[in-house]
Amino acid sequence: MAASSVNIESQRDSKFPLPVDSEHKATVFRLFSVAKPHMRAFHLSWISFFACFVSTFAAPPLLPIIRDNLGLTATDIGNAGIASVSGAVFARVAMGTACDLFGPRLASACLTLLTAPAVYSFAMAHDAISFLLVRFFTGFSLATFVSTQYWMSSMFSPSVVGTANGVAAGWGNLGGGATQLIMPLVFALIRDIGAVRFTAWRIAFFIPALFQTLSACTIMLFGQDLPDGDFHKLEKAGDKKKDKFSKVFYHGVTNYRAWILALTYGYCFGVELTVDNIIAEYFYDRFDLKLHTAGLIAASFGLANLFSRPAGGIVSDMVAKRYGMRGRIWALWIGQTLGGILCIVLGAVNTLWGSIFVMILFSIFVQAACGLTFGVVPFVSRRSLGVISGMTGGGGNVGAVLTQLIFFKGSRYSKETGIKLMGVMIVACTIPHMFIYFPQWGGMFCGPSSGKNYTTEHDYYRSEWSEEEQSRSHHLASMKFADNSRSERGRRADPVAAVPTSQDGSN
Amino acid sequence: MGTRAVILASLLVACLAQACDGNVLFSSLSRTLVVEASPTAGQVLKSGEDKIKVTWSFNGTHSGKDTDYKTVKVKLCYAPVSQKDRGWRKTVDNLKKDKTCPHLIVARPYSSSAPNNSFEWTVTKDIPKATYFIRVYAINASANEVGYGQTTNKNKTTNLFEVDAITGRHTSLDIASVCFSAFSVLSLAGFFIGEKRRAKKSSPPHM
Repeated sequence: MAASSVNIESQRDSKFPLPVDSEHKATVFRLFSVAKPHMRAFHLSWISFFACFVSTFAAPPLLPIIRDNLGLTATDIGNAGIASVSGAVFARVAMGTACDLFGPRLASACLTLLTAPAVYSFAMAHDAISFLLVRFFTGFSLATFVSTQYWMSSMFSPSVVGTANGVAAGWGNLGGGATQLIMPLVFALIRDIGAVRFTAWRIAFFIPALFQTLSACTIMLFGQDLPDGDFHKLEKAGDKKKDKFSKVFYHGVTNYRAWILALTYGYCFGVELTVDNIIAEYFYDRFDLKLHTAGLIAASFGLANLFSRPAGGIVSDMVAKRYGMRGRIWALWIGQTLGGILCIVLGAVNTLWGSIFVMILFSIFVQAACGLTFGVVPFVSRRSLGVISGMTGGGGNVGAVLTQLIFFKGSRYSKETGIKLMGVMIVACTIPHMFIYFPQWGGMFCGPSSGKNYTTEHDYYRSEWSEEEQSRSHHLASMKFADNSRSERGRRADPVAAVPTSQDGSN
Repeated sequence: MGTRAVILASLLVACLAQACDGNVLFSSLSRTLVVEASPTAGQVLKSGEDKIKVTWSFNGTHSGKDTDYKTVKVKLCYAPVSQKDRGWRKTVDNLKKDKTCPHLIVARPYSSSAPNNSFEWTVTKDIPKATYFIRVYAINASANEVGYGQTTNKNKTTNLFEVDAITGRHTSLDIASVCFSAFSVLSLAGFFIGEKRRAKKSSPPHM
């Protein structure tokens, strides 16, 4: 096998089954391939993220039995629901930093294996407090979202990164819908074998827990951080410079675009999590459905992720081909605003079939907005990609906590009023997209900088490294990315021939 | 005056229609049965072990007959303290939507005299830990409730008993939990160590 220090690029290129760019990121996305390392990384990451989603939302479908076994009140259940999504707020930011420093493979396997004990512990829960604690710690596993996005952004070229991110996250989010179908089935099976109800649900939790453990082990055994190898192998060989936590964190939190995206993601993904928690009850109470039927409708909301979030990513990439980054931001704003309007309509509709129809449309736009968001995130920073992804992801969970606290706790608002007001808040909190501006590409209303302030991709990504770091060539990987991101200028931009991959990235 | 009469009449028709439709209101039922149960006030019963004996009979002093009573349903019902902050156990007047008495002890053809007017029941293992009373519904041939009796008073405050439920936990499950959790953490440690070893072996320092 070739030693890790190879200088001639062309030799390495022939090693990859898929066509790659200068960073060895795949330039195409072939869904049904498991080719190493790109598509394999894709399948490993979405499956483990799916497992974490199944575990985090495994309790809601079994609540009718759990609440009787543990003597829970409605307040206890509400608090546990909020706890389940609040743990991931900081876990996601921490995960982002860990990805930047240790690589997505180690970071995600570590988190998944460390939260598996929380899922096993459901079998030992005995009261409201222990129930809240296990839901809280299990919820940390949702931070694997960040490692999924980071991994896809490291394996796939800018032209397909939106698609890769969208499909990986969408199929992972599927877990939230699938669990509403899986857990009741597993429970029924175990109960029919002969277990008492109050024991059967405890045994049922071993299924998602085992799934989580297995998927983490698979990642460690078969996964790879970057197209060229794992982080520390590349670092030891000198091909990758080990970065410092303080620098990575600083460049993440001082980038205002990360804060805007964190806020707006709270109103697509955060809303999606909130709806996962309340929609079954909404249909059950408002339209007098059977619990089973309400559960099916609730599951279909999460299952729409199969195509709607990937569609967001694909649309982002398609729009970028013609209009570049400006197109990506416009598509994101339009998609999310439409989602907010549909949310208002959902609260207003009075008929069952009308509600189902609007809910499905709403789910498509809200989930597509999530996919569209992560078509923009990979470009905000190269050095602190993990921290930015983590902040955005964490912001999503903050949105979930906020909307549940403001609109769906206690009896202040009826559920339909809560949904209407949530829609208004979505539209309002999507406006900040208008303030995102990339000097090298432009924003929604302004074109790229010109004249005296003319900034290139190289300038933008190089500004994350100090003079001293640049003199030691630490910024070279970012410069390669800068070259490949020229496609974000769109087709109408200056038709300069492809810039040759200069090794020192100097201009 | 005329409109008032019309409104009253239509309300009456609506009520009757509801009753015909099967939407019986609890407030429309009379307490025609005398129900006795073995648990004393404040007694704690163990689910899966202890038994409840329920006896019911027609209240002779109540005007009206029991000729249309065809079956009785004996139910275990939640006391108000166990319904608090639990919307899924809510008391609603419309018996079709009422969730006060979800647990059926037994359904029997109606008989007001021994030996067919009593039943002994072992508290099953799926009964949750809560405070309860017993209610017996008398049901006519069209499956509508037409009378009832219960072991407590109108406000459901007297003569309540408790059930101490099983936890559902088992030592074997707890052990399995701990073992699998330990396996997860240990395998993570194993992977870390393996990684470090492999990195040291394969890449000599590149100078």
